[in-house]
Amino acid sequence: MYKDFSLNDWDALIIPGGFSYGDWLRAGAIAARTQAIEKLKDAKDMHIPILGICNGFQILVEGELLPGALLPNENSKFVCRWIKTYVEKPRGPWLSLVEEKQEIDMPVAHAEGRYYVDEETYRSSLLKSPIVRYAPGHNPNGSIYDIAGVGSEDGLILGLMPHPERSSEDILAPRGFRANGKILFESLAHSLKKGW
Amino acid sequence: MPLTSEEVKEIRKILGREPTTEELAMFEAQWSEHCSYKSSKLLLKFLPTKGKHVIIGPGRDAPAVKVFKDWIVVFKIESHNHPSAVDPYNGAATGIGGIVRDILSLGAKPVALLDMLYMGNTRNPHANWLIRGIVKGISDYGNRIGIPTVAGDTWFDEVFNVQPLVNVACVGIAKSNDIILSSPQPGDLIILMGNATGRDGLLGSSFASKPLSEDVDKDIGAVQVGDPLTEKLLIDAIQILVAKKAVRYIKDLGGGGLTTALCETAADHGLGAVINLEKLHTRQHLTPLEILVSESQERMLIVVDESKLELVDEVLSKLDVQYSVIGYFTNDGLIKIFYNGAKVAEVPSKELAKPRPIRRASIPPLEALKGLKPFYQLPPEPDYREAIIKLISSPNIASKRWIYEQYDHEVGVRTVVKPGFGDAAVLRFLDNSLRGIAVKGDANPRYTALDPFNGAANAVGECFRNLVAVGSKPIAIVDELNAGNPEKPDHFWYFEMMLKGVAWMAEELRVPVVGGKVSFYNEDHMGRQIKPTTTIVGVGRVEDVSRVMTMEFKEHSSLVAIVGVTYPELGGSEYLYRVFGLEEGEIPKPRPASELRNAKFIRRVIRLGYAKAVHDISLGGLAIALIEMAVAGRIGVEVDISKVYTRGVQRLDEVIFSETQARYVVEIDSRYVDDFKHLAERMGVNISIIGRVADSNQIVFSFGPNNLVNLDLFTVVDIYNSILEKEVEGEV
Repeated sequence: MYKDFSLNDWDALIIPGGFSYGDWLRAGAIAARTQAIEKLKDAKDMHIPILGICNGFQILVEGELLPGALLPNENSKFVCRWIKTYVEKPRGPWLSLVEEKQEIDMPVAHAEGRYYVDEETYRSSLLKSPIVRYAPGHNPNGSIYDIAGVGSEDGLILGLMPHPERSSEDILAPRGFRANGKILFESLAHSLKKGW
Repeated sequence: MPLTSEEVKEIRKILGREPTTEELAMFEAQWSEHCSYKSSKLLLKFLPTKGKHVIIGPGRDAPAVKVFKDWIVVFKIESHNHPSAVDPYNGAATGIGGIVRDILSLGAKPVALLDMLYMGNTRNPHANWLIRGIVKGISDYGNRIGIPTVAGDTWFDEVFNVQPLVNVACVGIAKSNDIILSSPQPGDLIILMGNATGRDGLLGSSFASKPLSEDVDKDIGAVQVGDPLTEKLLIDAIQILVAKKAVRYIKDLGGGGLTTALCETAADHGLGAVINLEKLHTRQHLTPLEILVSESQERMLIVVDESKLELVDEVLSKLDVQYSVIGYFTNDGLIKIFYNGAKVAEVPSKELAKPRPIRRASIPPLEALKGLKPFYQLPPEPDYREAIIKLISSPNIASKRWIYEQYDHEVGVRTVVKPGFGDAAVLRFLDNSLRGIAVKGDANPRYTALDPFNGAANAVGECFRNLVAVGSKPIAIVDELNAGNPEKPDHFWYFEMMLKGVAWMAEELRVPVVGGKVSFYNEDHMGRQIKPTTTIVGVGRVEDVSRVMTMEFKEHSSLVAIVGVTYPELGGSEYLYRVFGLEEGEIPKPRPASELRNAKFIRRVIRLGYAKAVHDISLGGLAIALIEMAVAGRIGVEVDISKVYTRGVQRLDEVIFSETQARYVVEIDSRYVDDFKHLAERMGVNISIIGRVADSNQIVFSFGPNNLVNLDLFTVVDIYNSILEKEVEGEV
């Protein structure tokens, strides 16, 4: 329960998708101002790995744990579909088993997932960090530089709009896609045991 | 509909005195067509409602069927036609909210939503505004409460320009021993939880029980406004309360608001109640009358034994769900309403809950003759290529991506067969087994408008086939009958015939109709009824979700077969309408015996692993079924039309565009062709092998040595996938 959340109980934190506070105001905006999210900043200082998926990513961005902003989709509509992504500079606990340019197929399901970042931040900091990009022709929302997800420079914090947890069992992948999002969770399990 | 003078007379007789204004409002709400079924009740008894799987049939907020020994499925359909005509966004959204709460009332966990939308011409500005609003309303509400919208049905037709049909369904699951079957007892506390009551949706059911007025905006106060965040909290709260066995009974506050929830619960259990209205949490100062008939959303009534109050308080406080203890049940059968100590109403619950049914006159209109006209002289055969392009450009046939991609159809990781890939959606139970369910909703407004009896029967048939095509066994259906004005005999006739068509076909196919809803007064301010429409939602049992069947062609060595006999049945077809503008003629006959036989065959073919893809043949006939399979699989197909098994057919268009029932297209694994043929022979099923999946990007129809149509696959894919978006967004 969000009212009695304690950091000491956890090795890593995943903020899942959903619609915290019904997305009122702006996706993630209210959640990012609750007490639990304040604790995420403590988690960051304690070097606890944090993964934000979809609404979780929106919350991390609203809470300024990751750079950039997530704007309403280009066509201003919610979009739910499977897409292909690839990873650049995989690093840190969430991507330790992922190789450079490795493709990961996952579904997206969001209305406010158009990533935006100014060019200076992009060049100065993002290009040094892990980035998940939509494969050509798969950008569902008009994100700048085809960005689907970004990490902190050390990769401890990662946020992404697509849903790796919905792509973790073969039975859930439609024809033409692989359910290989599980690698994020396998990476974490591996990293917690053996470091990253 | 305001009360008639006879009804007021009857109320005087029941009470033995002049009713108070509060009492009159209560009677108006509850005796509305929407809440009381007074015009339909005498006919509803024709529906077959019993079966070995049925745990709860019609009567409660939602029916329940046992799908596996340890799993119960609770599902129900609801219409929000009138609110959506006035305020499409909130009207459709609150339709979702209401149907979800119906499922919660049995303690089930809602796991899927379906939306069956019959809307106007995309190019009509008003209809276009309604279409966008309705889809966005469902998208915003459904997505925010975390329940996937997995399937549905869509139809575009000018008759729905002003009055659309918004039918929504919810499917819930519960472990057999978690479902709430207990009854409220005298002395039990009555608690209202959720949203604060406000002035929205005052007498909304009464508004929905009359035709639209000319100036629809003046009805805006009767439309409720949705709050999905509160709904999500209600869903979570109910799951916890049920798990802790803290509640005795749950009821949704829907149409008729507090009045209906109270009197139906009391009447169903021979109870009365004492209510103190001032105890209720409200948004603003409300009069007792307003509290009694407000239809504010996201409210539920729970019945709690006094000893459990502390536990309930603990759960609801933790989740920030507001609640008020507003009274208790008694055993005198009287509902007594107090406001600050003063009694404002005292009515017997039974008489309030169940008005006397009305026997309505039923006379077929002259127009019904259109559906009896056999086609002796069809228009000359058109260019087939052009005809096919016209059909795949029909928004009734083209991909519904523009709609279903706006819905999160995957949240909850249960959706194994997703929209666009199968004839029905398949969901798993996620209980470490491979078991699951298939769900689908269907209707064909043109069929029911031409021939309500056979058209309604065909809706049952199509839903049945869709469930079978993914490899599930149909277990039960619910129906939504959308009709015109019951006070007009020529409107009521359609309702009567549709109901009897559903009853007959459901009985023939042995799927009980466990629940449903009736929506009357679907007419515009000129008194013209919409196309009367029967919507059917069915649930099927899936033993193994890893072996369910999808519809896309998979491999270029496979053969393609058609299962079932093709008859010359072009009446009421999408082909006649799109190509010649004709909406008349005898519609395809329901064929229950063939449905049963062919369904059994298809399920066996899937189980034995002979099939690689299965698709039911419906709108647009064989041609469209084949094209849809090729488009979904991004792989070509070549078929020889002369090989199709037919009876009485004189022309080629009758072979490729007939919408004859009880047929499927199957992609057969090339290793099992002989087994497939033998099985068909043994089971007495007519099959014809008509071609093969082709290693090309071509869709080729030939007749013997003559090439009939040659289409480039990717041209077709492009049209099929993009036309609806272009139609709605105005890029055509």
